[in-house]
Amino acid sequence: MPRYELALIVKAMQRPETAAVLKRTVEALMERGAIVRNLENLGERSLPYKISKHKERHKRGGYFLIDLEAPPSLVSPMMDHLGRDIDVIRRAFIKHPVAKAEECTGILPASPQEKLSARKN
Amino acid sequence: MLRALRRCRPGPVPLPALPPALGPGLGPGLGPGLCPAWAPRAVPVRGRKTRHDPPAKSKAGRVKLPPPVDPEELLVVLERYRQHRLVLSALRAEFRAEVLQRQREERLAAGGSAEELEEHRRLMAWNEEQNARQRARREERLRKEEEEQKRRKLEIAEKQARKMEAFLEEKEKEVLQLQEEAKNFITPENLEARIEECLDNPRNYNFAIDKDGRIVKRTVLS
Repeated sequence: MPRYELALIVKAMQRPETAAVLKRTVEALMERGAIVRNLENLGERSLPYKISKHKERHKRGGYFLIDLEAPPSLVSPMMDHLGRDIDVIRRAFIKHPVAKAEECTGILPASPQEKLSARKN
Repeated sequence: MLRALRRCRPGPVPLPALPPALGPGLGPGLGPGLCPAWAPRAVPVRGRKTRHDPPAKSKAGRVKLPPPVDPEELLVVLERYRQHRLVLSALRAEFRAEVLQRQREERLAAGGSAEELEEHRRLMAWNEEQNARQRARREERLRKEEEEQKRRKLEIAEKQARKMEAFLEEKEKEVLQLQEEAKNFITPENLEARIEECLDNPRNYNFAIDKDGRIVKRTVLS
């Protein structure tokens, strides 16, 4: 099964309520046939901008990352389900990032000819 | 079939009845009601109607059947004809071969003296030996090519086998790795514990780097 990463921004709440949100999210995932690998907490941080969601304006949120393996048919229903959850500010499914083994070659100096013939795109 | 061949017989054929003024000039030996089988007919056989007229009402239910054929008689007749033709063609071939042989001998006897015959035989021998040499070379070449082909096929098979093995090994490794990682997966039993542990350890992926390549991983989380 392909690997996904569910990035979740939950409302800034007390610890037991956050735990409850996570628990019900993970249970919903497992109910739909996903395999949860790992749960990561990126801390409670202030959001980059004020987000209005579910009739509330949020300035701080808890960032969580759920590593899971799921069939692709799980994504849409899960997004709907999380959209209805009032404690979830933002949800995003991404494919698990595969680390590329490409070496960084650095900045190549542009020759004067290239600079002359460069087109303004 | 045999009845239809009657018109090919070299004899006269009864002419359809018509006024003698229209008939062709009859030659000697032909009666008043006969004309040669190969002569063009003076009168078309259709009679009154052309091909475009509809057939008469009395012919409404007419069913034209081919002449009846007795199957045993047919088989017997065909077999006899086959044997007869076989014998005739064999005889013809025999005679042809005899005539050709006689012509060849006559030509040889007329043209050739002893040296010519000798020369001819020598050249034929030389030709035969050249042929044999070419045949040997050709066979050699074919054999080599076959070996080459077999060797190539073997190589390909080996390569395939190796690829298959490598692939299977890869998959085995992946499966084992997955099995190892499976020990760390979240199950309904350790869900609570994992959540507590996760909330206790916030991770920070941010880092700072400058142009000299120095990395600073400890940053302030606001």
